[in-house]
Amino acid sequence: MTNNLKAVLRGLKKKKLYTIINILGLSISLATSILIILWVQDERSFDRFHSDYTQLYKVNSHLSPEQNGPIWGSSPGPIANYAQNSPHVNQATRISQDHHVTFVNDELKRSVTALGVCYVDSNFFSIFNFPLIEGSLSNFQTNYTNAFITESTAEKLFDNRSIIGKTFRYSEDLFTVAGILKDVPQNSSIQFDVLIPLGYHAQRFTKWGGNGKWKTIDEDLGNYAFQTYIKAKPHSDPLTISESITAAYTKARDGENSSVFVLDPLETLHLIAADGNKSALRMVQIFGVIAILLLVIGAVNYVNLSTARALDRAKEVGIRKLIGASRARLFLQFVIETLVIFLISLIIALAIIFLLQSGYNQIAQKSMSYSLHNISPWIYVGLAIFGTLCLSSIYPAIQLSAFKPIESLKGKSLNHLSSNIMRKVLVVFQFTISVTLIVSTLIIKNQLAFIQQIDLGYDKEHVLTVNLPGEAYKHIEAIRSELKNNSAIQNVSLSGVYNLTDYGHSTGDIEWPGKSKNNPLVVSQATIDKEFIPLMGIELLEGTNFTGLPADSSNYIINETLAKQMGLTPPYVGSTMSFHDIPGQIVGVVKDFHFKSVREQIGPMVFWTRWGAGTLYVKTTATQTRQAIKALETIYNRYPSDAPFSYTFVDAQFDNLYKSEQRTGLLFNIFSGIAIFISSLGLFALATHEGQTRIKEIGIRKVLGASVFGIVELLGKNFIMLVSIAILIAYPIAFYLMKQWLDNFAYKIELSIWTFVVGSVIAVVIAILTISYQAIRAATANPVESLRNE
Amino acid sequence: MIKITSLQKYYRTEEVETVALNNLTIHVKEGEFVAVMGPSGCGKSTLLNIVGLLDDLDEGSYLFNNIEVAKFNERKRSDLRKHNIGFVFQSFNLIDELTVFENVELPLVYTNVPAAERKRRVEEVLEKVQIMHRRNHFPQQLSGGQQQRVAVARAVVNTPKLILADEPTGNLDSNNGNEVMQLLTELNEAGTTIVMVTHSEHDARFADRVIRMLDGQVIMETTTA
Repeated sequence: MTNNLKAVLRGLKKKKLYTIINILGLSISLATSILIILWVQDERSFDRFHSDYTQLYKVNSHLSPEQNGPIWGSSPGPIANYAQNSPHVNQATRISQDHHVTFVNDELKRSVTALGVCYVDSNFFSIFNFPLIEGSLSNFQTNYTNAFITESTAEKLFDNRSIIGKTFRYSEDLFTVAGILKDVPQNSSIQFDVLIPLGYHAQRFTKWGGNGKWKTIDEDLGNYAFQTYIKAKPHSDPLTISESITAAYTKARDGENSSVFVLDPLETLHLIAADGNKSALRMVQIFGVIAILLLVIGAVNYVNLSTARALDRAKEVGIRKLIGASRARLFLQFVIETLVIFLISLIIALAIIFLLQSGYNQIAQKSMSYSLHNISPWIYVGLAIFGTLCLSSIYPAIQLSAFKPIESLKGKSLNHLSSNIMRKVLVVFQFTISVTLIVSTLIIKNQLAFIQQIDLGYDKEHVLTVNLPGEAYKHIEAIRSELKNNSAIQNVSLSGVYNLTDYGHSTGDIEWPGKSKNNPLVVSQATIDKEFIPLMGIELLEGTNFTGLPADSSNYIINETLAKQMGLTPPYVGSTMSFHDIPGQIVGVVKDFHFKSVREQIGPMVFWTRWGAGTLYVKTTATQTRQAIKALETIYNRYPSDAPFSYTFVDAQFDNLYKSEQRTGLLFNIFSGIAIFISSLGLFALATHEGQTRIKEIGIRKVLGASVFGIVELLGKNFIMLVSIAILIAYPIAFYLMKQWLDNFAYKIELSIWTFVVGSVIAVVIAILTISYQAIRAATANPVESLRNE
Repeated sequence: MIKITSLQKYYRTEEVETVALNNLTIHVKEGEFVAVMGPSGCGKSTLLNIVGLLDDLDEGSYLFNNIEVAKFNERKRSDLRKHNIGFVFQSFNLIDELTVFENVELPLVYTNVPAAERKRRVEEVLEKVQIMHRRNHFPQQLSGGQQQRVAVARAVVNTPKLILADEPTGNLDSNNGNEVMQLLTELNEAGTTIVMVTHSEHDARFADRVIRMLDGQVIMETTTA
């Protein structure tokens, strides 16, 4: 054993190039794979920290599923009560959420802007596991102005830790801290900083007059304002529950209902969208496969190099056999060698992981940390070692046991043919993966560029949005004219659209002459003023803009898609329609513009003026942006506000929309870079080996007059042939994968043959560069040396 | 000790069959030192490989210590080899990654000799071949003669009954060659049977008997003593 180990270590030291290439390739592939596995693991871990997660479901609302109506993740208040009545349901609970909120500690004059407040039913904690650090669950719902706050929010809002019973202000009310919760894990779909009893929200709803005839949240069948979660009894069928909920809702609406309520399992909520879109799940699966492939690429290098070296080592093995080494002992030696290399690589890989962890978390936007106790990466690593052992040790071991020792001593080596074929297959395999990744990276890059350049139908450059303090809106006209007089500001508008790139406030409350009774049309709606359309550069195709006069209140501007979906014929202007029960007429039609991600088709949209609008849109120029921001801040600070001044740019909102695609693009860049790097390392080593084993042949050819180029060509052409085969195999794979990915976009690039050609050229150039160095070295060596050695 | 009778050995390629050894019969007694000579390609190395159980014979009989070994499988051959036969080659065939000590120790490792016993025996044999002072060197750090002495030490460390030497001085200058031949003679005098293939008349003089071969057959046997 020690004898074996010594020989292995000395052998590795002697063959430095092979050892470095093997260890480098393996460490990088192990490190990258483990990092990807961590990401995959994190993505798959969402919401699984709840003890009964397999029994938990969220209720989604499918509006008119027969007519492909929209699917919402929210549902009306009474749905939870209907669910509770089902014999298959253990518990049902509701959550209502306020986003981007500001909490104020008046005593310390401190405010904290946070992600959100959740108003929760009293059984919230009997369904979900959000651990309480301090305080008691039983007191929580006794007073509607009690609040549970998370540890980190508590730290920001208060000075010391004993804060139970202290108060903070949110909106108009004072809330008492009744408990401190552990921070919500990042892998939770339900995110909040503060929990408040749902009773508070219910009271406020009733106080504000309810929704038409419905005065309490338990009656309100119209607002889809709640996230409803259900804990089903074990082994119950979600379909039965969903049918009973839908039936109860239809009954409550006197039979007039086209909505279907569907249970969506909590454990897949994060990866499968409410509408069944599995693009997130696909991405996780693709990355899982990439993790395995990168591991395989690294292992393939090892297998290739060790089988190539088996030829060099035939003599050593021959001697050992001759002296009496048994097959088992020889096999053990190969196994030890593999284990030693893997162990060294693993240690380096772990060091790489710890070094890169924080940067990786930034790219992936997660807070993952690698612990040696984390089992699943070890499973993959174990499988990789086992697989590599099988291929790299068993294969030569079988060969070695079959050959006659005397032949290896005579210089006859192992069965060249079969090991050569295996190495060729493995090189083709490595480059197939690399080329697939390179081509995919190019396609993702092109699609991202396409999104950036797509004509959105509006001008997103140099437009700022700001939400002013409540008090400021009383003086909005004065503010507007003050801003307009500022030379840095070109135009000012007030709109209900808080984010033009992700605007989906929708309603079905639209009527027009000739609309059929079953038409489920749901339209996006935006309240704007007369400046909005010119400020955003939205094109009016027909008719006129709003005028700013009272007559605007019964005028509507619609987009082309809505005009078509309403079945109107040009000229559209002058047609009548009723919106939120106010009859009026269409005064203008705007050209379709992207008010949502280009993943989605442009939907129908109504512009109108009646409801109040709270977001200020300010158009400035590239050079005067700073000045414009300063002017806005001055105005903002004139009025009392809990939240500090903040603003966003529309083009930044736009970029935000494609963050996940950009992240995917970046990760693909990195992974394909790593894949091609490791594959090239392998190719480099094989080329070196080829040069060494054919050294005599090269010497003889040179003596007989072969040119350096001729020799380089001789050595290189086989490898280039392998890479070419890999390219041919990679084409259909990349085509299929990228077509799947592009299908997530309603607006996308065409897959062009040129992308494939460019990807192939990159791979071939890298391969040629890799091989050339060694081939030229072999070709320029003095033939006298090589022949003398023989 | 060795009784080979009517040995036939063919080499076959896809198109031709060459007779390597033709109806060959030789006997070697225990304690004898036999040299096998002949021109290149006469079959002497093939014969040595068959004697050393490294190669099969196609026809005939091979009795090693009165046991028929011609039909032994690889496992039995290996077993017989590691307990009874030591090999010395023209090109030394030492393992580059192991030191002198470890190279010599290897046969004992494979026969499961305990570590302390191994150390004692390796040191003893290294003393005998006068290479003890280089025990921690690697083969590449030694001269050809020294390497061959290590190879001889490795061949005898297991105290085999038979040593097969294939041109043991072929890669050595005359001084080093003489040293190695001296060593083999001493081993022979101590009772080890030696069969040596050689081109060198000078080396052959160290043997008790010389077998001359041509075209796979024995053409002459002479006694030198």
